[in-house]
This record gives sequence, structure tokens and C-alpha cells, in this order.
Amino acid sequence: MRIPARRTLIVVIIAILAGVLVAMPVGRASAQTPDIEVRALAIERTLLCPQCTNLRLDVCDTQLCSDMRAEIRERLSRGESTQQITDSFTERYGVRVLADVPPTGFNRLLFVWVGGSLLLVAAVGGFVLVRLRRTASPAPEIQASDTADDAWLDDQLAADREAR
Amino acid sequence: MNLADAAGTMNPLATIGAASLLTALATALFATFAAPIAHLTRRPVLGLAARRALIVTALFTTAGIATLGIALLRNDFSLAYVAGVSSRGMQAPMKWASLYSQQPGSLLYWTWAMSALMAVFAWRTLPRIPWGAGHATAICGATLTGFLIALVLLASPFHVSPVTPEDGVGLNPLLVDPGMLIHPPFLLTGLVSTAIPFALGLAALIAGRLDLAWLRAVRSWALFSWLVLSIGNVLGGWWAYTVLGWGGYWGWDPVENSAILPLLPMTAFLHSAMVQERRGMLKQWNLALVVAAFALAVFGTFNVRSGLVDSVHSFAQSEVGSYFLILLAIALAASVGLMLWRLPYLRADHDFESLLSRESALIVNNYLFTAIALVILGGTLFPVFSELFVDERITVGPPFFNRVVGPLLIALVALVAIGTVLPWRRAANETLARRFRDPAILTLISAAALFALGIREPRALVAIVAAVVLIAVTLREFVLGARGLHAAGHAWPATVMALFARDQRRYGGYLVHIGVAVMAVAVVGSTIYQQQFRVAVAPGESFEAGGRTLHYDGLREHTGLQNGIERELVAPLVVTQEGLTVGHMAPGRRLFANFPQQPTAIVALDTSFRDDLYVFVQGWDDDQVAEFHVFVNPLMFWLWLGAGVYVAGGLLAWAPLTSPLPVSEAARTATQTQRA
Repeated sequence: MRIPARRTLIVVIIAILAGVLVAMPVGRASAQTPDIEVRALAIERTLLCPQCTNLRLDVCDTQLCSDMRAEIRERLSRGESTQQITDSFTERYGVRVLADVPPTGFNRLLFVWVGGSLLLVAAVGGFVLVRLRRTASPAPEIQASDTADDAWLDDQLAADREAR
Repeated sequence: MNLADAAGTMNPLATIGAASLLTALATALFATFAAPIAHLTRRPVLGLAARRALIVTALFTTAGIATLGIALLRNDFSLAYVAGVSSRGMQAPMKWASLYSQQPGSLLYWTWAMSALMAVFAWRTLPRIPWGAGHATAICGATLTGFLIALVLLASPFHVSPVTPEDGVGLNPLLVDPGMLIHPPFLLTGLVSTAIPFALGLAALIAGRLDLAWLRAVRSWALFSWLVLSIGNVLGGWWAYTVLGWGGYWGWDPVENSAILPLLPMTAFLHSAMVQERRGMLKQWNLALVVAAFALAVFGTFNVRSGLVDSVHSFAQSEVGSYFLILLAIALAASVGLMLWRLPYLRADHDFESLLSRESALIVNNYLFTAIALVILGGTLFPVFSELFVDERITVGPPFFNRVVGPLLIALVALVAIGTVLPWRRAANETLARRFRDPAILTLISAAALFALGIREPRALVAIVAAVVLIAVTLREFVLGARGLHAAGHAWPATVMALFARDQRRYGGYLVHIGVAVMAVAVVGSTIYQQQFRVAVAPGESFEAGGRTLHYDGLREHTGLQNGIERELVAPLVVTQEGLTVGHMAPGRRLFANFPQQPTAIVALDTSFRDDLYVFVQGWDDDQVAEFHVFVNPLMFWLWLGAGVYVAGGLLAWAPLTSPLPVSEAARTATQTQRA
């Protein structure tokens, strides 16, 4: 008997794909939430609490964040754009309320670091791969032991003989 | 306080604890110096004494941590540390979390765990490596000395406060959770366990034994370290998910980054060590990886301890922080110096035969891990530089990391799939074509199917396809292996067992890969396809979420709770689906007597195979109209299941199965022929 490898695998794969598709809310209409609420939540997710550390505005429980959330809704209903609202919060509390690093000024260095790391790894890595492929050199012999080593070895051997 | 007062109020527990740590420091120092002296003067007895000193050090640090434990249990608030992290209202089990909840205690736990692992190392591993036992003993001793100095001089948990308070402050509210009883111990143990591969690597360098001897000795320790670090990180994600109440499990917080950083070189090492074992290549690289893992573990501890990333200004204030930076510098300088000195021994024995081989896939895997580690390190430290150089406080948050690290992780999953298909050394083009045919077809079909059915987000599409192909090619390896064994006369039910018995690490590793693939799909589902909304509900009303109906009936108040909890306000929800009650949820708020400014969220979860309903209460008014914050997180069940498979595979790869199942000689030759 052979395991019907391919058939088993096909069944497994179809099950995985089907499972993934059932779980993802793909194309499903989002709940009947009003437009402003959806847009407000989207803005909240891009901002951080000005007081806490690394806590998103939408999930922070401080009074300040609660006020900020109310303000976002109010300004959206007045017709302000997402950009305007984000900018005014940045002006008020500094760039650290932005969850994402704006790629401006000194921050460009972070992106230089990322690009540089990737380039470095790719360049050095590529070089090493090519070199490893070309050169083959056997490891050097372990150097001959010195006399102290020999003496110690003799001791050990003698002790071993005695033990027997 | 004058001396007479001090003598009059001598605190026995504080004295015993401090004395234990001081003695441990003395024995660690003895190990550090006795081992090299024994080596240089050829005195094996002294060498043995040095090795045993490591075990004795562990006994004294155990006495130290036990003393602190007793002080916590006895509510001895004369100890400043105990008063700061515990209170009379806390249950005994929760005091285990108090033990390591703040700097001095966690440093004690760190040092204790490290000394305990080193004692096991001295007892079990060192006797088997006569070529490096002395060197490794000295390095272990020196590392322990470094941490014990910090513990004794800079951050002792045994300081007696001048005034004994009536009651302690209690545990930080965020830590009052059963998850805190297991997550930090795993993580801290994982971090300290990197010290053992580090010690072995340096010992091998000093001894000039960079052949298979050190790899054989380091293998199970590196696997152990990787496994415990992995478990620590998974438990950390689980704790964040169920306690922090922001709907996710990984926020790229500096502390989380510090925890995952050492895991990256350790994982890379497990893979590149295979290349050295089989092909004699990558010796320098392997050493660099174990050094990097240890350095990042110390860096992480320093990072978390010094508050470096939250604010640069605490940097200079924390003596322990800068002290760790010095330790780190010494460890790195010593490692680099030794590597330069032994460079001639680090040449490869073999060369590559083909770029299309398992070994080159493993090497590229290492490149990806390196790139990921560099990017995470840069992102974690960048706020410090920003504040230092341009005096601007910025946050490098999840959007940055998701954008940069996300694609690298997807590439890694894809590479694992490709590497699984590639053979070692080289293969004829026809063989390669045959091995790649089915996976290539599968890639195209699954991509087309997912696209046609609505998954259009490119990252999601690529990640899911890569994960599906990885699962398929890995299962194919299991099937092929089992078929080989069956052909050689094994009965079907026993073949899987026999597979693991024949090559524990290989098939354990494959299982880990399957776990990773399952987790990758779950991560895509729960981040890219997460849904979120807020809803205000009056008592008696219902709302819909994730295909379920949630009925709210008003707030309940719980009082008379322990562990410093003053009261809990919960908003019970009855979950129904198509008219049937399928569950009960109780999201709410927890208020603490000693931390009035720090109420914590009680997160309620309703888990199904498809998705998690994740609910917490954001507020309520006088009429008990509650505002619920709801997340629908697809596939979360599978994230934890994938993590379980990962850990199971890791355990299988690591477990020292002393008596492997007998594999008949016929079976062995048959599979060898088949593989050739």
C-alpha cells in the first residue's frame, strides 16, 4: 500500500484555503457604522496617547484620549479632512503622537538605516556566497602541542593506566 | 541612622539574603580565576574545584532567592523591595510575580536562573568536553560575577528601609494576572540561557577547537535556549493580548523588541550550525551568532532596566543601565578579539557545490534573520538618537515595523518552503525540476484561488500562499520519509514514531516550520483583516459582532477581591448565534486600592475556530449605558495552535530521548538509497 501522497496533500491544501477564506471577512459588508465613525476610528489608529507610552489613541482610557476622540468626531462632522486633524494634533503634542514615523528631517536616517542594512546584508551576503563557492581551503592542522601539553597528557595516561 | 540603631534593628532575612549573594559572588570569582590558573599550571584538581564552584554559586543564589521569597510570604515590609511590590492583601501564588516584578528582584531572578543553568552545564556538559571545560568554567564564572556585582552593589533587593510601613504598595496592576506567573520566568530564563552557548563558543575559540566538538556540545543548549525564548515570547504575546486590552498581541514595543531580538540570531544559529555540521562551513559566522544572541540578551536587559528607550534622560540616572552597557562592551570586545586571534581556524573545510542547494538556502535564511535583527534594533533605538541629536521625541511604532519587517518575514516563510525542497550539496537539473514541479503548480493554483475569492491585499496573498506551500512541502517530506520506512518493513502506525526516532532534529524542525506557517496565516488574518468598532448599549439592548449577537443587561460590581483589587465593574454579555446561547463574556474594569490612577481593562474573549470576539468596556454613564470596544480578530485560535505545534516540534527536536526506537538496519539503508 502507498500513502496517496498527492491526494492527501490536495485535500489538506483545499481545507487550509477554504478555512482561510471562511475566516477572513473578505467582501463582507462592514457593520452599518456611520461614515464619520469609520473615519474617526481610522484616524485614532494612526495616533498615540500623548501621555502613555506606545498606546494607541483608540484603545487608551485616559480622559485626555477620550477628549481627543470626541474632538476628532466633532471636527470630522464640521467637514475637516483627516490630514487637517492629524496635523493639528501633531502641532499640539509633537510628532510623537504619530504612530508612524514621518519620513522627514532627521527621521530619514531611520530609513537610511533600514535600506543600508538590507543593502549591506545583500552585498556582503552575495559576496560571501560567491566566494564560498569558488574557494576551498582545508582548515589548518591543529598546531603541534608544546611540552607542557605533552607532560600533562603523559600524566593523564599514567593516571588512566593506574586506574585500570 | 547610626551604627547602634543598625545593629538593634538587624533584619535576619535581609542579612541572610545579602550574605548569600555576597558568598555567591565570592564563589563565582573563585571559578573565574581558579579555572585559568588550573589550566596554566596543569592542576586538574583545581580545575575540578573551579567547576564545582559554579555549582556552589547556584546553591547560594538559590538561598538568596529563597530568602526573598520567604520575606515576601511573611510580609516583611522592612525590606524596601518587599514593601514596593507586595501587600498583605496579596495571595501567596501572586507573590511569585512580585518576586521579579521590579528591577532588583528581576535581576536576582536573572542571576539565579543563570547560575542554575550554569550549574547544570558544569555538572552535565563540562565533564564531556575536557578540551574546553576550564575555559568555559572561567567564562561562566566571569559572567556570573558581572551580574552578581550589579546585584550586590547596585541593585540589591535586600535593602532595609529606615521605616517599616504597615502594609506594602502591592503589585503593579498590569502584572496582577495569572499570565505573569509564567511569562516572565520563561522569558528571563530564555535570555540568560544564551550565556551557555556564548560560554561554549568562547571556550572553543580559546581552545582552538572549532570543529564538530563544540557544535556537538552546544547543540542541545542552543536548542534549549531557542525553545525557552520562543515560549517566553509566545506567552508574552498571549499576556499582552488578554491583559493589555488593545486588541492585539504584538505591539513592537521596545520591551517586546528586546525580547525577540536574541531569538533571531539563536534561530539563525540552529540553521547555520547544520551547514557547519554537514559541510564544515560558516565557522566564524556560527560563533558570531552565539555571541550576538548573548549580547542582545544583555542589551535587552539593559534596555528594559535603564528605561533607555522611553526617555533618554533616565539613561544617566540608572547606574545599573550604564553598568550593563559596560558589561556588554567587555563581552563584545573579548569575543571580537578572540575571533580575530583564531581567524586561521575559522576557515571553511568545504566549498559550495551549487547555489541551488539546501546549504545556500540556509545561508540566505541567516541573511534574512540578520536583516530582520538589524532593522528591529535600529527601529528600537532610533527614538533615542532622535532625542539625542535633534531633541525631538518620536515613536517608532507598529506601522513602521509592520511595513519593514513584515515583508522580510514573508520572504523568510517563502525561503523555508524553497529550502525544504532543495537537496543538500547539488542536484541534477532534472531532479530539481521534478522536486519543484508540484510546489510551483500549487503556488500558482492557490494564488489564483485566493485572488479570485477576494484576497487582494498583496502582503496577505503572498504570505498565505507561501505558508500553504510551506505546509505542503513539509508534509510531503513526512510522507516521503514514512513511505521509505514502510518500504523497509515498518508497519504504518509506527512509521511516524520511527521517523522522529531516526532524526529527531530534522522532523522536529519540520514540525516547527509547520507551526510557523500556521502562525503566519493567523497573523495575516488577525492584523490585515481585523475589524474594530465601538458601540454604546443601554441595559436590555443587544448588538451584533462577528456573526454573533451580544445581549447586555447592565453593570455588576464585584468587591471583596484579593491581590490589591478594590473592586471590579463588569458588563456581562450573553452571546447568541442563530438563537442559541453560545457563550458568556464579562468585559469590565478593575480598580486597585493603591493605584487609583491605574484601572486596568478586563478583556473578554469569545473564541471560535474562525475568529475571536475581543471586547472591553471603554466607559459607561450614570444610566449604565456602556460603551463597548469590539475587535473581531480572525484566526486567533490558529495563532495559538500554530505556536503549540512550534513548541511541540521544538521539544521533539530538543528532548534528550535516551533510547531511540530501534530502526532496523534494513530500514536505514533503504531510506539512504532512496534519498540518494
